[in-house]
Amino acid sequence: MQRRNYYARARARAILETLAIFVAVAAGVLAWPLVSRAAPANGSAAPDFALKSTDGQNLRLSEYRGDIVVLTFWASWCGPCRETLAQLNQLPAGDAGPVVLGVNVEGDAGRAASVVASLGLDYPTLVDTRQAVGRLYDVERLPLTLLLDRDGVVQATWSAKEQPGESLARRIEELNP
Amino acid sequence: MKQTTETRKIVRRWRLCACMLLMAGGLLSAARAPANEPATAGELKGVDQDVQALKKQLIDLNRDLFRLEEELLYPASTQVAVFLSVDVGTFFALDSVTLKLDDKEVTNYLYTEREVKALHRGGVQKLYLGNLKAGEHEIVATFVGKGPHERDYRRGTTIKFEKTLGAKYVELRISDREASLQPEFVVRQWE
Repeated sequence: MQRRNYYARARARAILETLAIFVAVAAGVLAWPLVSRAAPANGSAAPDFALKSTDGQNLRLSEYRGDIVVLTFWASWCGPCRETLAQLNQLPAGDAGPVVLGVNVEGDAGRAASVVASLGLDYPTLVDTRQAVGRLYDVERLPLTLLLDRDGVVQATWSAKEQPGESLARRIEELNP
Repeated sequence: MKQTTETRKIVRRWRLCACMLLMAGGLLSAARAPANEPATAGELKGVDQDVQALKKQLIDLNRDLFRLEEELLYPASTQVAVFLSVDVGTFFALDSVTLKLDDKEVTNYLYTEREVKALHRGGVQKLYLGNLKAGEHEIVATFVGKGPHERDYRRGTTIKFEKTLGAKYVELRISDREASLQPEFVVRQWE
């Protein structure tokens, strides 16, 4: 009799523990989006933002819907960034090429403008003065380059020493009808 | 703020599911039609009408879900909305607006050329939508741009208001003061 009670209690405890684990896992899964922050993954929509460019114009990312956009985050102290910036300057301009937007994450418009001038960049450079866009895109390693399709969805990402180069040109060609 | 975004995401997921269900229903009903016989003009017209009806249902559903989202996130008892409009605005070229609610920055909006044009054409922008408890509150709006003679212009406006049980709407209007050839920032409140 006592043995049967012991087994019944053990079974009940096992069921309760299993339920508790299940509830904890479900709560963790549900709460994860609230506590986690990650860069927009390939296939997800690129978060919208507006920033002032080095020439004083305000530009908003969503206003480029309908165009292929190459977004690159950089800083003046980052060596590989300069290489990426120069590579992106070689991309074809006009209808055949993508819209290139550089985002300087240091927030120093003067320093950004001097790099733009020294590299002779033809595309607009935006200055993230409050580092809000850098946080929005969770920029951890520089340079960070994203390729967005005509719907503003991230199609490919290159970061740190990984240079976009030919792979970017190929992906742009794939996106062009 | 993050929770609001998450709730929005959940509502959007529901909306997407509902749209997909409706579309699947439409496709299923279309698939039930015999495929071997060529469709007559009457049948084609019927299919077209069905598609149109489905589209209308989708739009209605989207509108209802949007309302539900607004009601869930911003109930009338706590809702506060701040709008921005421009009336003429020849003495002020708008660059950005910063909004502080009870000394806490809630919006810092940078205007592109296209957005400024839209405001000049009569557009009204919902600058902020949030929740506030009943009582006295203060909004400080700082307008940055170019004033007369292309001079940098920065002007702040403070609004003190009493939040009651109903939704509160505040309109910030940029207009021209012809007499002094200066921009004017007018605040209007609605319950």
